[in-house]
Amino acid sequence: MGAAYLKLTGLVKSYDGRTNAVDGIDLDVARGEFVTLLGPSGSGKTTTLMMIAGFEEPTRGSIELDGEDLGRRKPYERNIGVVFQSYALFPHMTVAKNVAFPLRMRRFPAARQASRVREILDLVELGSFADKYPRELSGGQQQRVALARGLVFNPDVLLLDEPLGALDKSLREQMQVELKRIHREVGVTMLYVTHDQTEAMTMSDRIAVFNGGALEQVAPPLEVYHRPRTRFVGEFIGDSNFFSGRRDGERPGLVLLDGIGAHRVARAAWDEIAGSTVDVLIRPERIQLAGEGDEARLPNRVSMKVGVIVNYGDSVLVIGETDGHPLRMRIAGAQPDAIREGATVTVGWGPADAHLIRRD
Amino acid sequence: MLVVVVALVVALFLVAPILIVVPMSFSTAISFQFPPPGYWLGYYVRYFTGTEWLEPTLNSVVIALGATGLTMALVVPASFGYVRFRFRGKSFVNLLIMAPLVVPHVVSALAYYGFLARLRLNGTHLGVIVAHGVLAVPLAFLVITATLKGFDRNLERAAMSSGAGPLATFFHVTLPVLRPGMLVGALFAFLSSFNEAVVALFIAGRGAATLPKKMYESIRLESDPVIAVVSTLLVTTVAIGVLVSVLARGRESGAA
Repeated sequence: MGAAYLKLTGLVKSYDGRTNAVDGIDLDVARGEFVTLLGPSGSGKTTTLMMIAGFEEPTRGSIELDGEDLGRRKPYERNIGVVFQSYALFPHMTVAKNVAFPLRMRRFPAARQASRVREILDLVELGSFADKYPRELSGGQQQRVALARGLVFNPDVLLLDEPLGALDKSLREQMQVELKRIHREVGVTMLYVTHDQTEAMTMSDRIAVFNGGALEQVAPPLEVYHRPRTRFVGEFIGDSNFFSGRRDGERPGLVLLDGIGAHRVARAAWDEIAGSTVDVLIRPERIQLAGEGDEARLPNRVSMKVGVIVNYGDSVLVIGETDGHPLRMRIAGAQPDAIREGATVTVGWGPADAHLIRRD
Repeated sequence: MLVVVVALVVALFLVAPILIVVPMSFSTAISFQFPPPGYWLGYYVRYFTGTEWLEPTLNSVVIALGATGLTMALVVPASFGYVRFRFRGKSFVNLLIMAPLVVPHVVSALAYYGFLARLRLNGTHLGVIVAHGVLAVPLAFLVITATLKGFDRNLERAAMSSGAGPLATFFHVTLPVLRPGMLVGALFAFLSSFNEAVVALFIAGRGAATLPKKMYESIRLESDPVIAVVSTLLVTTVAIGVLVSVLARGRESGAA
């Protein structure tokens, strides 16, 4: 991680003086990075974004951009672009006028404005829509205009507040790819707020997971997925099986799972966890059908009673239980013959498939 | 099918008594008479050629414009304050602003009569403007607060992050987006003053006699058929006004 470009330090926002909507956020963002603020609604991610934009004043803490404190600067004195879920396009202006608005306010020469507007509309592939009004465009097109308006003045940072939230699923996926491409081409620092974990996984360089106004973890998507720092992160992102247990102090590499018994985990992970009580995360796709002869590969075994089977075509999700514990298993490909509703099967996982989280 | 028939009958019932003045305005009868014995434009000529009717018409227009200005000057800031801020006694303020709508006009008229007499404003344009301006406040307030509540404040945020200061944001974004709603509010204020008769009867006197006051006096004293002409012109004006407001709202909601 290079030097921090955008630096949030001890950021707190309280609306009523008693409870904190944002409760002490520390976050460093590198220049050109795409960071997603991910969390359930009301977790403080949008409020954090609004403080960076200057629409909300922090109760405590500081926001620095390139070494300069932004605290004293009004929103219109910051060089920060914002894209809203509601698009917030000016309905009385054409697409070109909307996009030119930031340049007009910054008193760019007229000729420069026109060429820059054309350039940025080409970037979002709306070159032929310059003279349309926002109401004549589809939701996806309107959001591209909003994106163009946020980018046209070469902002230091572009903030996006659930920009795809109002679009339907296929359009959303298309726009994710599009946003990623634009980020690569423009290289602007982007902060992206969403509650959709798929969006966060597919687009971000790093994900900052919010919960109750605080940060649970800031890490690259795969690290957040495979090595969540807290149980909340593991449950919020992706499908999960969680077991509570204790580290067996006598036998290194063994964990006693409540109600299931001793299971083998990676030694390095076992050593790393200092405490004795742990949460163990096993992703459903790490659990496999176990048979004779693969004890070495899958030393951890339980018998699973199959409840519901959900076929996705490219994979099968098996929902069942083992000794009263809910258990989810995801198998790539077609549904194996052994998996039938009501059947009991032996499933297993390797030591490296379990992720340990210390519980305090 | 039955619904359509009933609707048409009701519409006819509501509109017919108003529309009946249209043929009567072209009537040759020296008093009100239906059906008219013959048709001519004589009463229109009489309306447009003497000061007897044109002066109250002018008074009405001047007073309605003044009242609209006064109403908007009061209502626009009040609406912003009411919609955008939370403060103590907000519902009481709302009640206060709505009061002119629920107080019987004749009671208001009596009160204005006494109040304006002390200020020596009875029988002046200013006096009627003040009274009509206040009476139109609730109408304009209802329309403009509704428009403001539907206004996406992210538009202002988007403008500010685009580099527009508070004034530029207001004039480039807030005002243009709210304009149709404001125009409808102003139109309501204008029509409310232009149509108002009771308060005008009490306070307009000779000097600021409005069209409705003149009509009332005329029908009581002489049954002048010019009234049918005036009525026809009024109905036409109001219809055009309503049409304009409907079109403005249509444009606002993006039907175009």
